[in-house]
Amino acid sequence: MSVIYGLIPGMIILGLVGVLVFFWAVKNGQYDDMEGPAHRILDDDDMDNSKDKDHPPS
Amino acid sequence: MDNDSIRPSAFLSANNPLDDGRCFHCGLPANGASTCSGDVAGEQHLFCCSGCLNVCQVIHEAGLDAFYQRLHKQEAEMAPPPDSPCDIDQYDLPDVQQEFVHTLADGSKQAHLMVEGIHCAACVWLIERALGKMPGIIRAEVNLAHHRLLLHWQPGTIPLSKIMQRLAALGYAAIPFNLDTAEGKMRAQNRRLLFRMGFAGFGAMNIMWISIALYAGSFSGISIEDRHFFHWVSLAIATPVLFYSGGPILLSALRGLRLGSLGMDLPIAIGALATYTYSLWQTIQGGEHIYFDTVVSFLFVILVGRYLEALARRNASSATLRLLELQPRMATRLTESGEERVAVRKLVAGDRLHIRPGDKVPADGTVLEGISHIDESMLTGESKPVHKQSGCRVAGGTVNVEASLVMQVEVTGEGSVLSRIIHLVESAQGSKARVQRLADRIVPWFVGTTLLLSAITFLFWVQSDFDTALLAATAVLIITCPCALGLATPMAIAVSTGVGARYGVLVRNGEALENLSRITHVVLDKTGTLTEGRMFVSDIHTLGDKDRLLQLAGAVERHFSHPLATAICSSLEAKALPFMPCSKPQSLAGMGVGGVVDDCEIWIGNRRLMNKRGIELDVAMTEACERIESEMGVAVLLASDGELLGLLCIEDQLRQGAEELVAELSKCGIGISLLTGDSAAAAKHLHQRLSEHASAPIQVIADVLPEDKLGYIAKLQEKGECVLMAGDGINDGPALAQADIGIAMGQGTDVSMECSDIVLMGSDVSKIPWTISLGQRTLQTIRQNLGLSLAYNIILVPAAMAAWVTPVFAALAMPLSSLLVIGNAILIRRHMHRR
Repeated sequence: MSVIYGLIPGMIILGLVGVLVFFWAVKNGQYDDMEGPAHRILDDDDMDNSKDKDHPPS
Repeated sequence: MDNDSIRPSAFLSANNPLDDGRCFHCGLPANGASTCSGDVAGEQHLFCCSGCLNVCQVIHEAGLDAFYQRLHKQEAEMAPPPDSPCDIDQYDLPDVQQEFVHTLADGSKQAHLMVEGIHCAACVWLIERALGKMPGIIRAEVNLAHHRLLLHWQPGTIPLSKIMQRLAALGYAAIPFNLDTAEGKMRAQNRRLLFRMGFAGFGAMNIMWISIALYAGSFSGISIEDRHFFHWVSLAIATPVLFYSGGPILLSALRGLRLGSLGMDLPIAIGALATYTYSLWQTIQGGEHIYFDTVVSFLFVILVGRYLEALARRNASSATLRLLELQPRMATRLTESGEERVAVRKLVAGDRLHIRPGDKVPADGTVLEGISHIDESMLTGESKPVHKQSGCRVAGGTVNVEASLVMQVEVTGEGSVLSRIIHLVESAQGSKARVQRLADRIVPWFVGTTLLLSAITFLFWVQSDFDTALLAATAVLIITCPCALGLATPMAIAVSTGVGARYGVLVRNGEALENLSRITHVVLDKTGTLTEGRMFVSDIHTLGDKDRLLQLAGAVERHFSHPLATAICSSLEAKALPFMPCSKPQSLAGMGVGGVVDDCEIWIGNRRLMNKRGIELDVAMTEACERIESEMGVAVLLASDGELLGLLCIEDQLRQGAEELVAELSKCGIGISLLTGDSAAAAKHLHQRLSEHASAPIQVIADVLPEDKLGYIAKLQEKGECVLMAGDGINDGPALAQADIGIAMGQGTDVSMECSDIVLMGSDVSKIPWTISLGQRTLQTIRQNLGLSLAYNIILVPAAMAAWVTPVFAALAMPLSSLLVIGNAILIRRHMHRR
C-alpha cells in the first residue's frame, strides 16, 4: 500500500495542472463563444480557391 | 482561373429557386410589392427586395458565392438585410471614435461592433472572409453567440467607415460599442465565479476517489495509518476549496451576521464550517469519520447553481446599452457659411440643425422651418407618425420620415427626453422593491432555530461527555443542512420556466413567478399590446370595384415608405393582386401622395388634400370619414382625375385574444387599467369594446408620457396593489421595470423585453391568465417543498438531538430529502400540461 504515498500526491498535482489549464482557457476567452468555432473549423477555404488567387489576402 | 475548381455559377444554378417564387438571397417568398429580379453570375434570379439583390451581387463580386452552399447546408432561416445605419462616415471622426476605439501601441486600432443580421455559421464565414480580404484589416473575428465582431485594423490604410460600409453592403448592420462600459464589471465577476466553480469541481472530483477508498476501507478493513493518510489528504483538498471557492459565501454570511440579517448564505456557511471543523478535529484526534467530501461537493453544487443563475442574468444588463445606441451621434449644423457635420455632444442650446428625411433628430428642440411627419414610436409607442411644423417640439432619437426640417436645439445631453428614459429605466431597475422570496422569509427563522437547537443539544450533552456533545450538535447542523430548503424554490422555478418556454412564455426573472399569484391589478399598454401596433386596411368604401380602388392606391403608394403606404401595399399583397405601373409619384407633406396610373391623375390623402385639389366630398363620405376618425382609424381618400372614387379605412386592429384576456382577468377579480400615449378620443372606442367583456369598470389613462406611466404604477403600488404591467415599446421600459411584474411582447422592442420579467413569444396576450396560473402553481409547489423539507427536519432533528443519529446517517438522509423536493417540482410539468 505504500505506493499510494506517491500516487496520491501525483494525482493531486495532475489535477492541479488541469485546473491551471482551465484557468488559462477561461482567461484566454475560450469560453466566450461556444458556438462559432465549432463551425469555423469546418469552413475552410477549399470551396473557392480560384477566387482567392485573384484577390490575395493581405 | 483554375478549371478544376467549381465555378460560382455552378452553385447558383444548382439551387436556382426561380421556380418556387422564393427570394434567391434570403429564401423568403418573393411576391410582394418590392419584388425584383436581377442578374447574378450571368443568370436571372428572383429577389424579395432590392436589398437582397444588392447583397447577393456584392457577395458574388467578392467571390464568396460559396456562402449560399454553406447556408444551404446549415438549413438556417435567413431574413432580408436590416436597414444599414445612416451616416456611417460619422464613425471616422476622432470625437466619435473616442468612445469605443482602442489604439494599440503600434498605431493600429481595435473596436467591438454589435452586428445585426447574423443568423448562422455561414454568416460568420462570410463576414470573416469578406473583411479579411480587405487591405489594412489585421483581424476580424465574429462571436456567434453574442453577435459581435472584434475588429483590428490599420487606420492609415483603411478608415473604419469603409469597413462598416463593406459590412452594410453584405447585408449586416453594425454598431460600435464599448465593451468595458457595456459589461466590463459583470464579465469580470462571471469569470471569477467560473474560476471558483472550476476549482471546487477539481476538489470534488479528487476528494470523491479518496472517499470511495475510505468507504471501501471501512467495510473490508483498512490499516489505521492508511486511513489517517487519506484523512490528511482530504483535509489538504478541502481547505483551499472551502476558503477559495466558498470564500464569497463565508464573507457574505459574516456580513449578514454583522448586519443582523440571517440570509441563505448563513446556513450554507455554518453547515460547511461546522462539518469542516468537526472533520478537522476528527483528523487531528485520529478519529474514524470525516465529512470533507460533503463540504466540497456541497460547495461545488451550490456554485454550479450560482453560475447558471449568473449566465441567465448576464443579458439583462444590456437594456441601457441598447437605449444609448438609439442616441444619434452626428448632426448637421447650419452656420452662416453653410452646413457642417458635428458630433452631437458638441451641440449647444440655440444651434440650428438641418434634419434630412430618414435622419434621427439629434437633440430636443423646436422646429423652425419645414413640414414633415416624425416617427415618435420610441417615445410614445404610437405607430402613427406625428405631424410637425414650425413651432412644434421634437425629441432627440425620433426619426424624421418625410421632408427636410430645420430645428433649433433647446436641450442636449442629460436633460433630453431620451436621457431621461435611460435614467428612468436605470433607477426603476435599481429601486424596484425586490420581491422577497418565500424561502428568503423562512430562512432566517429556520437558521435561527437550527442554531438554537444545536446549541441546546451541545449544552445538554456536554454535561455528560464532550465527544458525544460535539457529535450530536454537528449531526443537528448537518441534518438541517439547507439543501432541501435551498432547492425548494429554485427547482420549482426551473421546472416552471421550462414549462413556460414550451408554451411560448419566456420567464426571464424566476422570482417573478412566485409573485404572479399576488397580482391584484393589471395595467395594459394600448398600442402594440392590446392592438397589433401596425396599420391595416380594414375597410374600403367605394361605389365601384373595391379591388380596383386598392390597386390604384397601391400603384402610387408603393413608391413611399409612410406606414399608411405600407399598410395599403401589404393589403394588396395579401389579396395577391398585381401592382400597376405608376409614373410621376410625388408626395405632399402632411396631406398625401399623387401620381399617374393608366393615364389618370390619382390623388390619395386626407380631406385637406381633397379640398386643396378642389375635389368635392359628398355628405355620405364626410360622415364615413368622421366615423372612422372617431374610432381611432385613419380615412384615406382616393380621387382620380378630379373625381372622388372612394376611401380606405386604415386602423390598428385589436389583437386576437385581447377581449378574452379582459374577460378572464375580471372574472378573477383583478383590476384593469389601460394606458396609452394616444389621445383620450382614440382610446375611447377601444375602451367601449373592452368594457363589454369586463365586470368591473376599466380605467383609461390617455396622453401619458413614459414617466407618467411609471408614476401611475408607483401610485397603484403605494395603494398596496401588486401590479402587473404588459407593454411593448421603449416608452414602456421604465413602467415595466417599476411594476411588480413586467410582461413584454415578443414582437416588441428589445428594450421593453430587457426591462420585463416575462416575455410572451408570439405576442399572444391571452396567455397572460395562463401565466398567472403557472405562477400560482409554482408558489403552491414551493410551499409544498418547504413543507416537505421542514417535515423531514421535524422528524430527524429530535433524533439527532437525542444523539441517536450518527453523522454518517445524517449525510445519507440529506440527499433523500433533496430527491423528494426535486420529484415534487417535476409534477408542475404534468399539471400545467393538463390545463
